[in-house]
Amino acid sequence: MAKLHIEPKQSEEGEDGAEFQVVEDEGILAWDADSELLVVGQSYPRLEGREKVTGRARYSSDVRLPGQLYARVLRSPYPHARIRNIDITKAEQSPGVHAVICAANVPRIAWYEESVLFDATVRLVGDEIAAVAAESDELAQDALRLIEVDYESLPFVTTIEEALRPDAPKVHDGGNIAGEPTTYERGDPESGLHEADVVVTGDFETPCALHNAFESHGCTASWEGDSLTLWDSTQAIFVVRQQVAEKLKMPEHRVRVIKQHMGGGFGAKQIPWKHDVIAALLSKQAGRPVQLLLDREAENMAAGNRNPTRQHVQLGAKRDGTLTAIVARIEQSAGAYRTGGEASNVSGTYQTLYRCPNVRTEQTAVYTNTGPAVAFRAPGHVEAAFALEQAMDELARALDLDPVALRRRNYAEVDQLEDKPFTLPEGLRLSYDRVTETFGWGERTAQPADSVKRRGVGFAAHDWSGGTGHPPGYAWIELNSDGTADVVTGTQDIGTGARTGLAQVAAEELGLPLANIAFQLGDTATGPYSPVSSGSATQATIGPALRAAAADVKAQLLEVASVVLEIGVGRLSVRDGRVLVDGDTERAIAVGEVMQKIAPHTLQARGARAPNPADMTIRTFGAQCVELEVDTETGEITVLRIVTAHDCGRIINPALVDSQVVGGVTQGVGFALSEERIVDTRLGIVLNANLEEYHVPTVADVPVIEHARVGVPDSAANSTGAKGIGEPPLIPTAPAIANAVFDAIGIRFRAGPLTRQRVLAALAARETNGSGEADS
Amino acid sequence: MKPFDFARPDTIAAAVALLDGRDASRPNRSALLAGGTDLLTLMKADLYAPELLIDIKRLAELDNRIEETAEGLTIGALVTLSQLEDDPRIQSLVPALAEAAALAATPQLRHMATIGGNLLQRPRCWYFRKPGIHCWLKGGDDCPARQGENQLHALFDVSPCVAVHPSDPATALLALAASVRLRGAAGERELPLAAFFAPPTDERRQETVIGNDELIVSIQIPAAAPGTRSTYLKAMNRKVWAFALAGVAAAIHMDGNRIAQARLALGGVAPVPWRAESAEQVLTGAEPSPEIIARAAESALASAEPLAHNGYKIPLAKALVRRALTRLTAPAFPGA
Ligand SMILES: Cc1cc2nc3c(=O)[nH]c(=O)nc-3n(C[C@H](O)[C@H](O)[C@H](O)COP(=O)(O)OP(=O)(O)OC[C@H]3O[C@@H](n4cnc5c(N)ncnc54)[C@H](O)[C@@H]3O)c2cc1C
Ligand code: SF4
Repeated sequence: MAKLHIEPKQSEEGEDGAEFQVVEDEGILAWDADSELLVVGQSYPRLEGREKVTGRARYSSDVRLPGQLYARVLRSPYPHARIRNIDITKAEQSPGVHAVICAANVPRIAWYEESVLFDATVRLVGDEIAAVAAESDELAQDALRLIEVDYESLPFVTTIEEALRPDAPKVHDGGNIAGEPTTYERGDPESGLHEADVVVTGDFETPCALHNAFESHGCTASWEGDSLTLWDSTQAIFVVRQQVAEKLKMPEHRVRVIKQHMGGGFGAKQIPWKHDVIAALLSKQAGRPVQLLLDREAENMAAGNRNPTRQHVQLGAKRDGTLTAIVARIEQSAGAYRTGGEASNVSGTYQTLYRCPNVRTEQTAVYTNTGPAVAFRAPGHVEAAFALEQAMDELARALDLDPVALRRRNYAEVDQLEDKPFTLPEGLRLSYDRVTETFGWGERTAQPADSVKRRGVGFAAHDWSGGTGHPPGYAWIELNSDGTADVVTGTQDIGTGARTGLAQVAAEELGLPLANIAFQLGDTATGPYSPVSSGSATQATIGPALRAAAADVKAQLLEVASVVLEIGVGRLSVRDGRVLVDGDTERAIAVGEVMQKIAPHTLQARGARAPNPADMTIRTFGAQCVELEVDTETGEITVLRIVTAHDCGRIINPALVDSQVVGGVTQGVGFALSEERIVDTRLGIVLNANLEEYHVPTVADVPVIEHARVGVPDSAANSTGAKGIGEPPLIPTAPAIANAVFDAIGIRFRAGPLTRQRVLAALAARETNGSGEADS
Repeated sequence: MKPFDFARPDTIAAAVALLDGRDASRPNRSALLAGGTDLLTLMKADLYAPELLIDIKRLAELDNRIEETAEGLTIGALVTLSQLEDDPRIQSLVPALAEAAALAATPQLRHMATIGGNLLQRPRCWYFRKPGIHCWLKGGDDCPARQGENQLHALFDVSPCVAVHPSDPATALLALAASVRLRGAAGERELPLAAFFAPPTDERRQETVIGNDELIVSIQIPAAAPGTRSTYLKAMNRKVWAFALAGVAAAIHMDGNRIAQARLALGGVAPVPWRAESAEQVLTGAEPSPEIIARAAESALASAEPLAHNGYKIPLAKALVRRALTRLTAPAFPGA
């Protein structure tokens, strides 16, 4: 029996819901740097690799059920309008159509704060108005055209600037300020600025970036009596289950959510979207399974983005580089709705990355008539790093200090928000060391002979509040009578390789080879609760729960072995599928052989994620160096080399960690150089909601990315010593690139991305007025 | 996509006959299908809804070969961009075309995309490509790009439409003095590329003068004086797989250390591939030098009228012109 403690929950501001938390202690010692691990630390190929490369892996979009219908959603062509009337009769009579739903024939289902599923007011181009399920996708599209909608167009705003004007059209009745602005202050920022020898000030702007995961959003819904099954491309099967059940007024146990494989989510799939419920409603009405996949346009209009920001930043420092003040005023666009999953704490890194006694951040979110923002790989931190890390670079130059030296001088040994030590306080320092050594920071780059091309190097650091893992999260293990094990969790592998990294933890603790583990996840009906796979949390949340379950099973196994071998448990251990006897190698016996003795009995246990340490703060850190070349005539930027180091605690599987690093940095290159949603301010339309004009980097744009692994276990963080790596690599890339561009050509780009348009305009402006500042 | 009929005629005459059935009041009645890389995207976005698709991709009579004769090169309408990229004769005789083909789209697209279809592809203007926007080129009243997001649009204002022609090969072919052979109900005609492309007008809202009943049979590139050098340079918002922000094709024939003949064409700057004749005049007869080259580049962009967001294309195009000319007039030009 697990030892449960029920404690009042430390309520976070404004949070409602559960009032108590269940605390379960794993009661096992953390693996530390001296632990001799056999399976953990090895680059095993992905467990599902063979399935994927042979095309057998079934993604949510591959689901084909007997009688399945295909759905399409009618979306608003107006950025802001009232719907006077909708007529679906013609669509209902269209060939092959089995269901048409709109506000008139579905219950009012609350969505996005005070709005509803099919609202009478549409607030963005792409807002959902009605939906059709038909025998083919084409027939569904044909029927969509037959829906007649009478709109009353309303005035709208698409930019932060417009939204904040006193006479601006209101996105919501309550005005354009989304939620309560947040202010944080410590010390006395004014006197901090006053006592500074140097103050740098800058206005920065970050673009709206679109997630564009390989696999777009979508699900398939199927009813069996009163029970609903959803195959959903989601990062959070249990959240989808809970929310869909709530919206449809069903008990949770009648909703099953399945997600086996996913082509990425990057945060956009961490919340349930309207299409989950729309598919379920259509399927109910049609009496047949319904598949609803969003196309690229739809997802890029209405299913999430990285919020654009404006950041006014001031840094004050003494001549020796000691920071005396950090002040940031931040405005961000939430889009038309707050989804509840935007998690964009832009202020955070200003408060924590550097030691500074005087800090103030003010953060205001505004509504605009554009797609709603949702978390995007390291939300908030990516945006903030672009500004803060460029401002630090400016400060270093103003003080004539090396940018890395400036950062080392302001090293934060403790979490200044809560005055607690970090679980691995040297994490950032180790990242600085590894990245600068590997890159050869400080060695001057040779300029090419062609004086038109200028080379530069840039540096940026980051911290990240994610990667920590947290309770609750559970795992079940059953050791079979042949010595193999079934390992079950309800977490999800969103394309990161989580299956493999987690199975390695279970195998290690059980003392079994990885091949003897069958690992199951991604199904609410067969696995225990696991939280959303966001915040780089999956490994650090579920890994310790698996270890706890495995330790329990192992203890049971040793008891059995002790009886079978007639040797005290104290002399027994398990390794690589064999029970070993201390001091007597001859008597080692295969786990399967032990289990045969008690067959058909099996050994089972559950494990729960223990709480994080109360008196310490877990954080992930990192730093990046970039070398690039700027063509001063054509504005072309060629990134030559990126070296990156991250403290993600113990590296469970080096190949998988490297692949997260390469993917993250690649996304950072896109954020720096080419990715930007373009909205026509007079039409409210996203002009590049596709992969043709929204430019994600190609292989030709991405340089060699070298991961200078840190790999020091963070044993105070959790029992595996591993933290997350999914989000961090992207955070410092854009500012490191912008800093390298400054190094190369002496122009500071405070608005991104650094397209030809921006680079050439800045070069031309310098020609005419000699300034080293780029307009936005 | 709307339902349509499908025909696969065996002869050019049969294809033309099907086209000939086109009724001017129903301009969408029939369309030729080659690689389909542009046509199908237009149809899927409901921008174009032909009632009859005439598949010419396997039409034996329509050439998918490149032939070299004393007069020059004949490129069949069905030749793909990857053929142009890989063909040794194209690479050695008209490298600008091989380079332009290689810099277009992606390898997968180049395997499907034919040169005939490439010349007739529609603009990528992001207002044009949105089904919901009824802009001037689609028969509407005004052009939202003029006051809108026009960073990708034209520098030369020669039409109510400021979209740029998206083709890379067309820019190269214009510099190579190519012409297009057309076959219609009334027979065959050959038009120089400079006449084939024409800025859209109120009466003709398309980028070419091809007749409703005509198809492209082939492209002719006249034999240039021996030793003519050519090249194509392209600037994109990423390294590959993007349309040209600016493209420059140049063909130069040197006589001793003087430029005997120069042809210069720009892409990404006008609704049609843009010939820079004044720059050609600066170059013709001149001894190449950085100053002459810079003057030619200035002259090529002299009449540019940038919109609010595309002024950056002027220095960009000038830089590409200088680079192309410097390359082609270098004494140590490869193969010279
Ligand atoms: C993602 C993407 C990126 C691209 N990037 C580039 C680029 O960088 N540079 C570039 O130059 N192009 C680019 N293209 C355009 C591509 O090269 C063209 O779509 C292609 O060349 C068209 O050829 P097709 O054979 O597929 O024509 P289709 O799509 O079959 O036809 C296009 C048009 O031409 C007509 N047509 C075709 N053949 C004939 C003929 N023989 N006679 C008369 N009419 C005919 C058709 O009726 C249709 O109107 C890109 C396209 C895509 C989709
Ligand atoms: S530039 Fe041409 S295609 Fe684009 S919106 Fe204007 S008229 Fe239409």
